[in-house]
Amino acid sequence: MNWTKSMRTTVTEKLTWDNLLPSEQPIYVSSLVYSFGVFTLSSLVFTIMSGVIMAAYGPTWYQYSAAGAFFRSVHFWSVQAFFFFMTMHLVGQFFMGSWREGRAMTWVLGALSFGVSVITAFTGYLSRGDFFAQWNQVQSKDAFNGAGLDGFLNILNNGQVYGLHIAVLPLILIVLVGWHMVAVRAKGVVPPYQAAHVQKKEGEKR
Amino acid sequence: MTRKAHFERNTLRFPQKDFDMVKEGIVSLGIVGVAVVIVAAIFGAPYRPAITNQEIANQKPILVMQTAMGDLDGQGEMAAYGPPYNNGWHGVAQNIQSIGPFSPQTWWGTPYHLYTPNADVITPLTMLATASNNTALQAAIQTYNAASYTQQQAWDNNFTNALNKATVQNGQVVVPSGQYGPVQLMMNDELALAKSGLLSGALDRETNNGVYRWNIQNDLLFLQGPALHQYAKTIDMRGEQWGINHDEQAYPGPWWLTPYTFLYQVPPGSTSPSGDEIVAYTIAVLFGLLVLLPFIPGLNKLPRVLPVHRAIWRDWYKRLETTNACASCPLATSCNKEFHGPMTAAADHEIPACYDQTTSVGKGSHFVSQDSGIQPHA
Repeated sequence: MNWTKSMRTTVTEKLTWDNLLPSEQPIYVSSLVYSFGVFTLSSLVFTIMSGVIMAAYGPTWYQYSAAGAFFRSVHFWSVQAFFFFMTMHLVGQFFMGSWREGRAMTWVLGALSFGVSVITAFTGYLSRGDFFAQWNQVQSKDAFNGAGLDGFLNILNNGQVYGLHIAVLPLILIVLVGWHMVAVRAKGVVPPYQAAHVQKKEGEKR
Repeated sequence: MTRKAHFERNTLRFPQKDFDMVKEGIVSLGIVGVAVVIVAAIFGAPYRPAITNQEIANQKPILVMQTAMGDLDGQGEMAAYGPPYNNGWHGVAQNIQSIGPFSPQTWWGTPYHLYTPNADVITPLTMLATASNNTALQAAIQTYNAASYTQQQAWDNNFTNALNKATVQNGQVVVPSGQYGPVQLMMNDELALAKSGLLSGALDRETNNGVYRWNIQNDLLFLQGPALHQYAKTIDMRGEQWGINHDEQAYPGPWWLTPYTFLYQVPPGSTSPSGDEIVAYTIAVLFGLLVLLPFIPGLNKLPRVLPVHRAIWRDWYKRLETTNACASCPLATSCNKEFHGPMTAAADHEIPACYDQTTSVGKGSHFVSQDSGIQPHA
């Protein structure tokens, strides 16, 4: 098997402009539910942008300056929006059974993104540098130790926690979210129930 | 299905309508951006300054001495904690969690080693004695280190008991006279070090091998007992108060941890000494179910029988209805059920032909977009 050729074929078939940026959608795309995904992504953009600014100036800046406090607030509310829309998106996609018709990997990638987001947000809480960070650190150490994660993570080591929060976990999240979006675009949004059966029958005919 | 078909955007065979994805993205960014900035400007974000050992020393000096004594004599929680910090006090650990023989906490040994007598008392006091050229303290430490374990425990026990009767006068801890050996002087100096604000630095220096101050492990572990718990209780942050799940009053906290926090409110999470391990692995299993939902028989069919998707795609179903798609359908009954009745999902073998734009029944008439006039991509 020629990996180069295989990869090129996959990319040229999946990542066409027509797939990535379609200028039309099936007419059944007509519900507020469809906007939760793009709102989730928008919130993530503001989370990352405010986070990059905070990381650039450093932890003391966002604790002890007015501008820092403002960006900390933007970061805080972006995260709240991100989780709100992501939860709505997840619930909506569940009720649509959006893993149908070869879209299982899209769901898996989305669910994994949710899990990584929770861990990323948690390390963010530990990076606040205030009482809540202290308290969550000492409280959660028992959980991380009891679960056997102590070999990988010293939750009381701010260097490790901060590094995970601003670099490692966001990188994983961006890859997962990007892959999820490509999967959504490559397959198109899931058709309504029942109509899908027709599609199945059609596929068999080919 | 061919390989090509597998990659194809197969929704193209439905009637299409114009859609501006770039505009949608920009508008969404605008709405979220404006909303977030306005809310952030008005409400800010919760922030409660960190607690320091210095504050505790000034407000509750006896508590600092009790904590230091627990670390010195092995009675304290962290002295006997077990992995990943130590192997307990003289081999007896108090906090190793396990579900039967399954105890992942012990898998990695003690990578963040903490020997509390040295880390929290002897080393900081030695640093203080050196820095201040305090010969009395140096002598006290030498006396304590040279004494037998039995002798050390006797002094420790006497002073720990005396602390139960201690009073605070002018910021100093006053205890009844007794046989404390060098321990009373050591504890007075430990308190003085904490009050000066330098104890945290000494503790962090221990964790960081004397270099950068990233790792605040020992500082937090010194604070973590009654000191932080008493404070946390006053603002409803303890575990049984759904602690981590909420933030300061009037601010939303990490509500996305609700399923995890909930498990701590009910047995065995709320009662078992291995509650953390049980909760963590329960959540891991539940998350696994969520991720693998498409492959779980029954669960992956659940949204089909729940009527919510009919509300989400109501325009589509209504459209089929208004175009009278069911009228000429050979499976009119099940087709109608799909639009109207409760819990009426058709069985797998029933495929209403009225949905099928490729058959003679549906083709060309019902499934051409009325809005855009765009023909379906067959």
